[in-house]
Amino acid sequence: MSHNVPSESLQGSPRHAFFMEQALLMGEKALETGETPVGCVLVHNNKIVGSGMNDTNKSMNGTRHAEFIAIEEMLQNYPRSILRTTDLYVTVEPCVMCASALRQYQIRAVYYGCGNDRFGGTGSILSLHSDPSIDPSHPTYGGLYHKEAIILLRRFYIQENDKAPKPRPKKHRELKMDFDKELLTYPAT
Amino acid sequence: MDAEDVLRGITSRVGEVTAIRTVQETRPLEEFSDAYVAEVNVKTASKVIKALDSAFPRDASQPMNHLRRFAKHNQVPEHLRPVLLREGSSPAQTIFVLISPPLPGTEAIQKVLAPFAPDNAATEDAPLPLHTIRIPLQPPMTTVQADAWSKTMWPVVFNPAAPRAMVAPPPHILGRARELIQPKAGRYLALAQRVAEEAEQSGLGRGVGAVVVDPGLEAEVDETEETEGDIRWADAVVAVAGDGRYSRREVGMTEADVQPGRGPNPNIQTYNPDREGGPELHALMRVVELISSKRREDGPVSSTGRPCLNYLETYFMSQSNVTATSESLDDPSPVPEKYQKTETAAHAIHQEPETGDASTSRIRPRSQGGYLCTDLDVYLTHEPCICCCMGLLLSRFRAVIFPRRGRMVSGGLASEPVVQPDGAPAEASEEEAKPREYYGLHWRKELNWRALGFEFVEEEQPDAKLAVDGVAFHA
Repeated sequence: MSHNVPSESLQGSPRHAFFMEQALLMGEKALETGETPVGCVLVHNNKIVGSGMNDTNKSMNGTRHAEFIAIEEMLQNYPRSILRTTDLYVTVEPCVMCASALRQYQIRAVYYGCGNDRFGGTGSILSLHSDPSIDPSHPTYGGLYHKEAIILLRRFYIQENDKAPKPRPKKHRELKMDFDKELLTYPAT
Repeated sequence: MDAEDVLRGITSRVGEVTAIRTVQETRPLEEFSDAYVAEVNVKTASKVIKALDSAFPRDASQPMNHLRRFAKHNQVPEHLRPVLLREGSSPAQTIFVLISPPLPGTEAIQKVLAPFAPDNAATEDAPLPLHTIRIPLQPPMTTVQADAWSKTMWPVVFNPAAPRAMVAPPPHILGRARELIQPKAGRYLALAQRVAEEAEQSGLGRGVGAVVVDPGLEAEVDETEETEGDIRWADAVVAVAGDGRYSRREVGMTEADVQPGRGPNPNIQTYNPDREGGPELHALMRVVELISSKRREDGPVSSTGRPCLNYLETYFMSQSNVTATSESLDDPSPVPEKYQKTETAAHAIHQEPETGDASTSRIRPRSQGGYLCTDLDVYLTHEPCICCCMGLLLSRFRAVIFPRRGRMVSGGLASEPVVQPDGAPAEASEEEAKPREYYGLHWRKELNWRALGFEFVEEEQPDAKLAVDGVAFHA
């Protein structure tokens, strides 16, 4: 059920494009604050009801991914049950943790930018949106603005991580702008 | 009730700690592919390898070190002998070389190998023959598999270390951790059960509990003269949390919806997703957040609004209050110097902060080098849901332990149905009646983070309930 739709056809839809642009803006905000640049928005009846960006560094909690932050924000104003008629737009394929959470929350559909070959839970490593489960399955669509999502991540990973126990010097790294290798390496979303 | 009374009343559960196999161990991946074999002059063997490797670079992501580069005449598998062994060729003159994937074109190979062809094997009109065979792409997991492949496919080498490196934890690390966990697991799991009961009785959650232990602190606990009612064992516990899925007040809910009163919440009888809160309210996620709040040095109110829900949680959190100097004064028996860090293995795991701060905090804050849940072990009453499994990996726990009785259809750790000690599958148990996926998420070579996974197998108790026979939910 994971559809890798050519980005043009999804991007051709002004609606999808608009919401993914909002998710990218959240990712941009994450980059500015030293977080892994992954952003997302929850869309219910054409309206953004929650938005999130990764918050694992500031919170010292490795589970504070964009999706959880967005759901938390949504729950301030809406009951959990509206997720059944809500779509998620996220810049990177949800990780195994978030993919399972989205299924438990019974999200209607997931639109994502680039795949996630280290942690991806909706097609790259596991297919938690469609595997047998006690919760209903949902469709996922990848490839919407995937280049922009990848560039965001690359901009983050050329930085040195002074929070790591052993920071690695990355002085000589350059931001690559080519897409010969579509698969990227990045952490979880 | 007083938390220390509860700790005094804890009776250790009796059972065996057993490593959860990985999915790659349970269902070894067997992939096969075509390869070429050519006969070359035995005296030129080393030149053949150089010529092949420089002409056709190997794919680093697919090392073929388990396949022998050459087979002598007597090593050629039975079924290939009629094809490969020519009349007039002798073991003294020729040897067979393997060209493994990624496979170049046959003409390119023949061109590279031409100078090494055995006398009278190739002519201008008929180039050096290449024979197609099948080879295993993954290294063998056992000597039995290696022997079988060597007889039926191509000679392979079994290296006990190589195949396990990614597919399963290194045996010495797994074995050492199991030894250290075995004597204490029963007690921590009994505490987790007590936390779970508290969560259920409060009406704020299901009966699921989590206990987090710092193996570094464990090594410092002096248990040599343990007396009855002694609770020093709990000094290694850094945090506990119960499930809190009914604790969040959602829009449109009344106070009565959130907490119908003391006693189990009526929603535990069924699985109604709208009433399940969310995975961030599961015991594992809650205990991770409690530890994070100490790392962040939050004030009394957590910045994420997920506070302690009961006195047991509060008790362990208060043990890490850096500002509360009274607790160190209250401590009647500080660990004697001679018992500190006698376990050599503990040195590798637990490093004292270099700040020289004499803080007694069990959870080191960020300012003292505390980071996520690195090097901690988590004991759970139930097999965690997939979301929590990945949450514990992302939190960098060292190990996760849960009782086999707590397996769930929605769990993400088990890698296979229950297997009896003699290797036979368990008799038609209830578990098989409810089909489930076996993800073995604690150690997947595909994922960036891994943890050691253990099940606690208790002695046969005929009346003991299996979690899997109850309501299916996400633990």
